[in-house]
Amino acid sequence: MITTILKRMAWALLLLAIQVLVLDQVHPWGYGAPLLCPLIVITLPLGTSRTEALLWGFGTGFIADIFAGTSGISSAALTFIAFLQPPLLELMVPRDSEEELRPSFSTMGRWNYLQFIAILLLLHHLVWFALEGFSYFFLKDILISMGVSYAASLLLIILVEHVRNPKN
Amino acid sequence: MHDFIERLTAYVHWALFLLLEVTSGFLLFQHNHYQGSVWFTQANIVAAQVHEWESEVLSFLRMPAENAALVRRNIALQQQNDVLRHELISQSNNFTISQLDSLTNRQIVKSSNCQMIEAQIIDNSVRKRDNMLVINAGSEDGVAPEMGVVSGTGVVGIVSAVTPHHALVMSILNSHSSISCRLRGTEYFGYLKWKGGKPLRAYMDDVPRHAHIKKGAVVETNGFSAVFPAGIFLGKVAEIKNSSDGLAYELEILLSTDLANIRHVAVINNHDKAELDSLYQQ
Repeated sequence: MITTILKRMAWALLLLAIQVLVLDQVHPWGYGAPLLCPLIVITLPLGTSRTEALLWGFGTGFIADIFAGTSGISSAALTFIAFLQPPLLELMVPRDSEEELRPSFSTMGRWNYLQFIAILLLLHHLVWFALEGFSYFFLKDILISMGVSYAASLLLIILVEHVRNPKN
Repeated sequence: MHDFIERLTAYVHWALFLLLEVTSGFLLFQHNHYQGSVWFTQANIVAAQVHEWESEVLSFLRMPAENAALVRRNIALQQQNDVLRHELISQSNNFTISQLDSLTNRQIVKSSNCQMIEAQIIDNSVRKRDNMLVINAGSEDGVAPEMGVVSGTGVVGIVSAVTPHHALVMSILNSHSSISCRLRGTEYFGYLKWKGGKPLRAYMDDVPRHAHIKKGAVVETNGFSAVFPAGIFLGKVAEIKNSSDGLAYELEILLSTDLANIRHVAVINNHDKAELDSLYQQ
């Protein structure tokens, strides 16, 4: 139990470090940066209680916010998808899955997992950019920012998941 | 009773969800009051230290571009200096070049009533709607809220909160930023505002319709607020548009400072400011 939590914390810190030190400095064509933090919530295993998922989501978002100066935005967006992750995961895994299945390309199947990532990431980006763009003047710019960031994040997450799980 | 508690625990995640979202919302909105929230920003001790290490590495990589910009700025200032010097001599016959040269730098700085505190940017962003940056000079270096921050190429922002060794600066690329400015050579003034989008595109509003404006005219600070002394470069007029109410011009400004690519800045401590502030309060 304790080792699982410590392992997950190390995983979360690694992703946060990449987000803060590398990705926050990258702006493809001057638009939104890729966001890797949602992966922490996406990979919460099957059977995680919704309360626990919420705490992971909020905690991760809170740290990401402090370092990126986006106070409140990431915590709201990650809490939101953390609320939806457990039921969505239950819906999308095969019936006879093992109890603490950790979502990945190998455990859920390539196409299933891709859909799972795409849905949660889209929900995350919708909340993130809606809050960030509160009273935004250029609706077009914010939509482009969201699109660019969504595409970049999706590619990056798929890449990270392949590196983490190279067999598939 | 047992049933009731069981039912209650089944819904506890809803309560937690709402609580956490409300907390996030609170953080989001209280952040608009910058002064009170410095501990939840990039200027807190841990975040600032991490960003400082990161910036030390990055500054090595960006040194050449930074140097080139400083050199260009230096040359421009020398040329300006030259023009002014000749202007001064032609204006007054009893003032010679040798007299001007005998003014030491110290006297010039003293007479301008401004003190410059050098600093480096350790965290920065340009892609948000409300961009802030963190510099590695704080209250112990003499930095205080409401002081202006400039770089070699022009205005960068205004200090909004300080810790002992760092300061949080509201970038000009922030929807709350509004900098009093004028068109060089005229006294037409307005406010420079940023409306999101491209980091080099800002707007100056309230310019009267009878003003003769050309594309390429220089926009500079006008010194009304004492945050910035008069004459600091902001940018050039790129486009002349009508304001939304049609009563004035709205100028699209190409900013002179590329905030996505700066590192060395200076904080301006204007000694006249306290005096002006007390005047406004009366």
